[in-house]
Parts: sequence; structure tokens; C-alpha cells
Amino acid sequence: MKWLDSLTEGSARSLAKRTSRRGFIGTLGTILVGASGLPLLPVARGGDAADDKAKHVNDPTSCDYWRHCAIDGYLCGCCGGSENSCPPGTQMSAITWVGTCHNPIDGKDYVVSYNDCCGKATCGRCLCNRNERDTPLYVPFQSNDYNWCSGSAKTNIPYHCSTARIVAVAK
Amino acid sequence: MKSPRRVLSAWVLSAAVACAPLALALLAPAAVQAALPPDPAGTIQTLPRPPSAHWVWVNDFAFSHMVNGKAMLVDGDSGRFLGELDTGFGSMRVVLAPDGQVIYSPETYFSRGTRGERTDVVTLYDPSHLSPLGEIVIPPKRSSNMPMMSNAQLTDDGRFLLIYNFTPAQSITVVDTRSRKFVGEVETSGCALSFPTGARSFFSLCADGALLHTVLDDTGHASRSDRTEPLFDVDHDPLTEKGVRVGDTWYFVSFSGVLYPFKLEQGSPKLQQTWPLLSAAEKAQNWRPGGLQQLAVHAGLNRLYAIMHQGPLETHKDPGHEVWVYDLARKARIQKIAMKNNSGSIQVTRDSHPLLFSVFIDSTVLDVYDATTGNLIRSVTDIGTTPTVLVTP
Repeated sequence: MKWLDSLTEGSARSLAKRTSRRGFIGTLGTILVGASGLPLLPVARGGDAADDKAKHVNDPTSCDYWRHCAIDGYLCGCCGGSENSCPPGTQMSAITWVGTCHNPIDGKDYVVSYNDCCGKATCGRCLCNRNERDTPLYVPFQSNDYNWCSGSAKTNIPYHCSTARIVAVAK
Repeated sequence: MKSPRRVLSAWVLSAAVACAPLALALLAPAAVQAALPPDPAGTIQTLPRPPSAHWVWVNDFAFSHMVNGKAMLVDGDSGRFLGELDTGFGSMRVVLAPDGQVIYSPETYFSRGTRGERTDVVTLYDPSHLSPLGEIVIPPKRSSNMPMMSNAQLTDDGRFLLIYNFTPAQSITVVDTRSRKFVGEVETSGCALSFPTGARSFFSLCADGALLHTVLDDTGHASRSDRTEPLFDVDHDPLTEKGVRVGDTWYFVSFSGVLYPFKLEQGSPKLQQTWPLLSAAEKAQNWRPGGLQQLAVHAGLNRLYAIMHQGPLETHKDPGHEVWVYDLARKARIQKIAMKNNSGSIQVTRDSHPLLFSVFIDSTVLDVYDATTGNLIRSVTDIGTTPTVLVTP
């Protein structure tokens, strides 16, 4: 799909590796950048009037923040971190899933990596679930239904919150 | 003119006369009945076997406190909360043995609560006492994701338990329920979850729209693995992974509401004729299926139940306020059920007078409907914190 074509070369390489037999139980350190939010509640979205959404489109603690177009989880900006950093005492997941979000401020599309922050109980603040271009579990690196804190040795630990790091301008 | 005091006295007298029989009736039993006996100490309830067909397990992965997920058992006929299982971190769902003798629960624990060594197990529970019978240690790879029924499935004869792993390498852990031992892992690179197709086989959904069909031998190891050609369009209209099964056919619905039946033929899953759950007019009005457990079936009636809502494409996980019912033989909608509350997960009991259960992850209410009339029977409140998928005996 078009938006997939816009992903970075690194992401595409990772995708190829993931789907190969050789990749099975392979080294994960080389896989991706991105990130994802854990689960999911299709709840914390909507309800705001259009004016309110516009007001919050550049607020990292709002579900309507432009980078959050495909996030699923608690916003790290509400949990002691920020849109691109984890709260104290947590670890950022090495692997993630990526979305492509439109920034209405500069008119550009960006590849956004939703790295989870891991190692403490769920933050419980600012739950947000938006599903633009989200795919089912069988397309993992485009699915926000995974907990990306599990997996590698470093981050095989509980989910705390989700960031939304800019990786690149989508081409 | 009578004085106020005399009026009051007269009223009191007449009231006393009128109430005398009632007062005597209230006092008399106390005079003749023995005092209540002391209650015995240490009484603990047990549950009958086999379970009622109208019981439902409400799985809760406790999103705001994920280390202690649970599964709660509710009787749909009475609305009574019967008991619960504590199912650890990132709880997916309980799996009921076909013979009703044991409940399997894939679970994850950390040695220091949210820290320390991770241990994954399948805990075996006694269905009468809801207490652990034992556990089987499995590799600490169990996928942590929004709970799906196909995170854990039994083969048709109940012999092997299949558990989806994601590290993000993808595989299926196989557990022998007879020996109660971990057997091994089956590689499913590029493919997710398990959908049983027989006593020794299952398929997984793949990122390119293909199905990976795996056949096990009698020891639980993969003896054959075949990958179909892509059978659905992941890029333009992906299937949700929330499939349901009637007999040898699995049904999946696409984001836009097209039903895809996959039937096991000559040892492998074959795509049957697809058909739309929505008319052109309904699609134009942005109706679409949604929810976490958005489909349910009743095999005896050969009916499909689908949660529907109105919204754009990216609302494919949103709950709905309607459940549409289809006759699978006629490929036609036969009923619309108006839901009292948001519905994100539905399940239908297997008996001949089926109930339709409904929950939503952002609510703690379990709604119980007559699955044939669509009438609301009752709402059961305070069921967990984030109820996910529903499992019936």
C-alpha cells in the first residue's frame, strides 16, 4: 500500500527479515526502530468538538496530538516522560511498530515510531487509542495491538506507556 | 367540638386496634421459633459439573494493572457471579477442556511483581473448586497483545494446547494435555495465531494474506506445513483476526464487512465464496463491523452474529450498538438486535435456547440477551475492570 511504500528503507529491510524463515527466533536487535502502543481501548477518542480537536492537535498530552494517529496505550507525556522519551526508571522498547501521521502544522507526513516504555506497572493516565492504518496481528509492525515490551531480553518486561517518536519524513 | 387531644387519642386508639393483628403476627413467631443456629465456619462453595451451558467466562486483562488479570464466571440464567480465576500478567483467556475436567490458562509471572525473572506457565484449574491442579512451564515467549480467542486454542480432540508466541519471532508453543508437558515450538514465520482445523492440524494467518496450514504428528511435533497462495487482500481490505468456526469452516470478516469462509478440503483450508454482510446502501452510510470479539456463531442454528457500528475505516475496533444476525446457509441477514450498551465483545451459548452475552472493554457491565429474540434479559454489573473476550462451555 502507498503508505507502506513510504516507510524507511530500514523498516522495509526489517519487514523482509521478519517474514523469512531465517528470521525465525533470530536476532532482534537489528529489527526496526519503531514502536507501538499496547492494546487498545477504542474508547478514549472522539467526543471532542472539532474546535477542541484543533486546539489539541499540537499538545503531546492529548489524544488528538497529530503524532498519535495510530497510538494505542497510555501517553508517556502524562506519565513522567514525553512524546519522545520514557519516564524515569523505565526502559524504551527496542522494537516497535510505526505509523504515518500528517502534521497539520507544517503540512508534512511523518513516519512515527510508537516505542513503548517498559518495566513498571501500567501508568494508567491519558489512555489513547487511534487506529489510522492499523492492521491485524498478522501484520505485526503495523499493528498497535501488540505489547512491544515483551520479546527481547532487555525489554521482556511489563508495559508502562507509549511514546510517539518521529523517525523520518514520509516520502 | 372535640378537643385536639381527644381527636388524637381517638386516632391512636383506632390505629392500635387496626394494627393489632399485624403486631401480633410479627411478635408471635419470635415467641415460638427457635433462634437461628450458628453458621458453620470454613464453608467454601463448589461448582457443579458439568457446567451449565448458560455460564460464561469473562476474561479481563486488567489493563490498568496488568500483573493480575483474571477470568470471572457468571451464570447467565441468574446473573450470579460464581467465582474467578487469577490469571497473571497480560491475561488472554481461559481454555475449557472438551470433557469439562480441567481449565487451561496460559499465564505470565514476574518474580518481583513487575520486575525480575519472567516465567510463563499453563496453569491447570479444577473446574469445581477453581483452584490450581498444577502447572506446565512453557518458554517465556507467550504473545502479549490485545486478547484474542486464537491466542490459545485446543486441537479438536483436546489433546494439544496451541499458544501463540511473539518475540517478535512468531511461533506456536505446543503443550500435550495428556502428559501435561511442553512438547515444543512450531515455527510460523510471518504468520500469527492458531485456528484449529482438526485433531492434529491448525492454520495461521499470514502477513501476505496467505494461510499457513500446519499438521502435527501424534507427539505434537509438526509433520507438515503448507502455505496457501494469498487468499485475501491485506493492503486494501484486510481480514480481522477474530475468526469464528462452524464445523469445518472458519469465518473471518474484512474491515469493509465482507465475509470470508475457509473450509478444510482435502487436508488444507480453501477459500469459499465470499459474501457481503452489508448492502451497498449500508456501506454508503458507513456501517461496518467492529469490536474486539466482533463475531459469534451458533452452530445448531447456523447463524452468525456481528457487532455493527457507523464510522470511517479506522474505526474497525470500535464497539457498536447493534448486532446483526445472519443465516449462514442463506447468506442473508435475518435480524438486527439493538444493544442496550456499547458492545465490543459478543459470545453465544451452544445450547438450543441460546443466550447472547455482550461486554465492552471500557465498561464493567455484562449484558445477557435471548440470542433468538434479541430481548435483553439482564445486565450484570461490576464485572472486572477491562473485560475482553468471552468464553462459553
